Amino acid sequence: MASAIEIRDLTKSYGDVRALDGVDLDVPEGSFFGLLGPNGAGKTTFINILVGLVRKTGGEASVFGYDVEDDYREARDRIGLAPQEFNVDRFFPIREVLEHKAGYHGIPHDEAAERADEVLKRVGIYDKRDTRFDWLSGGMKRRFMLARALITDPDLLILDEPTAGVDVQLRHELWETIVDLNDSGTTILLTTHYIEEAERLCDEVAILDSGSVIEVASPEELMDRGTDDIVVQLRDPPTAVPDFAADDDRVEAVELDGTRLVVTAQQGGLVAPDVVQALDRAGHEIVDLEISRTSLEEVFVEMTRKGEGRATAEVEQ
Amino acid sequence: MSLTSLDVTGFYALLRREVLRFVRRPRNTFVPPFITNVLYFSVFGVILGERINEIAGVPYILFILPGLIVLGAVSNAFENASFSIFHGRWNRYIEEALTSPLSYSSMVGAYVLSSATRGVLVGALVALIGAFFTSVGVARPFYLVAFMLVITLLFAGLGVVGGLWADDFDDLTMMNQFILRPLVFFGGVFYSLNEIPATFQQASLLNPMIYMVNGVRYGFLGVTEVDPNLSLGVLTALTLGVVGLNVVLFRRGYGLTD
Repeated sequence: MASAIEIRDLTKSYGDVRALDGVDLDVPEGSFFGLLGPNGAGKTTFINILVGLVRKTGGEASVFGYDVEDDYREARDRIGLAPQEFNVDRFFPIREVLEHKAGYHGIPHDEAAERADEVLKRVGIYDKRDTRFDWLSGGMKRRFMLARALITDPDLLILDEPTAGVDVQLRHELWETIVDLNDSGTTILLTTHYIEEAERLCDEVAILDSGSVIEVASPEELMDRGTDDIVVQLRDPPTAVPDFAADDDRVEAVELDGTRLVVTAQQGGLVAPDVVQALDRAGHEIVDLEISRTSLEEVFVEMTRKGEGRATAEVEQ
Repeated sequence: MSLTSLDVTGFYALLRREVLRFVRRPRNTFVPPFITNVLYFSVFGVILGERINEIAGVPYILFILPGLIVLGAVSNAFENASFSIFHGRWNRYIEEALTSPLSYSSMVGAYVLSSATRGVLVGALVALIGAFFTSVGVARPFYLVAFMLVITLLFAGLGVVGGLWADDFDDLTMMNQFILRPLVFFGGVFYSLNEIPATFQQASLLNPMIYMVNGVRYGFLGVTEVDPNLSLGVLTALTLGVVGLNVVLFRRGYGLTD
């Protein structure tokens, strides 16, 4: 599949600080791609290089085959950006702000006015069209940021923390809108602190830490690398339980507390039948069984913690 | 979409936005120069002017009129460009244009042309106020139009540099109060070069405002203390240089990108 974003050895330095350190990344066309990382990982710097708000120090970055510096006009024409920070023209009502933005992308005024109405209806703030941005509520401001990114009908929609600070209902509404766009072929690049957002929406995620990509995989693949808890409730407290760890490399720990047995294992869903069979063979009666899947958040925290370890080791050297 | 149609539509959209910004706020853009110039004409033209002899055969109130037009036009062109760029940077909404496919020359063109338009409009407003106080004619229409266009474009271009350079609002005030106004007041708006000592005359010739005021004065009254063609040529070259510098600064992201 062709790449919507192609990044090779991308670096960005601010004096001695390396915000991006040799990033290589491909975002497939039409995909829903997540960019995860702790604060200061370089996510916003990465996005700003794509749209021309930050100049790269080295490497190559292209959008739909257009270099973001040499062919900046072609690249930017294909991108719709909803940044985390509000950077909206305060002088005009929001409908006019949208018309101006569309105009900068070469959309004639009449068509821009139609599109402005469409996107305002789509995000549910059409009745606020004659209001200036400053007078919108926090949730409406987030909706407007999405509307502005959509006004140019972009091939690549970049959303930097699009649901930061919004309530659960609005978050789900925004998700629905974004998923519809992705279904209709728009490539989405999403950065988020809400791991649940990445789990639910993304086909693939890249984990960025200290300016480097430390992993690219689907959320499912990442979660498979974490450990699940198989929680078994037994009828009677056993005096001993089978040695699951000896029989299966995927089992990492076994804990017994009265009638409650917890088996910690990778790929818990696959290990659980073996656990049930072994307990059955040993004569234990199972009352209840639950598999507590590892979350992407736990994997993410674990991976970025390892990153901290690497950084500390480098400093110590 | 072809880049050519994008150029035209995109440039027009930014130009329209910039013009609407000052047109819709007359209390900030047109009322202050209106009041200031009514005061200038009343005090300097009528009250003091009646006690001052004619200069080069021209009544004092008529002599100062071109200078006041230049003062209003260039300060508004400069202020518009510097404020618009700086305010956009301060509140980051300039990113709406920067992240668009507009070319850097289109962006500069829209900022400079809209600011020059405000300068010309304020200049026309001052001329109308002057016409209320004294009889005004246009002796050299070509020179009047040419000088007005060049000086407003030049100061709009300088305003773009100022807007990119400024780090806070105090820098904008400083540029206007400590650089622009002294240049204008020592630029022969209120006095003739022939009436000051020779040393100051020579020093005054280093002030570009002298050539602008005299150029516009030549357009209105047909009298000048410096060669209008030479002035127009030098100012045109300077304007092209400054606008070229604007494009280079935008391309390099000076004050705009990290």
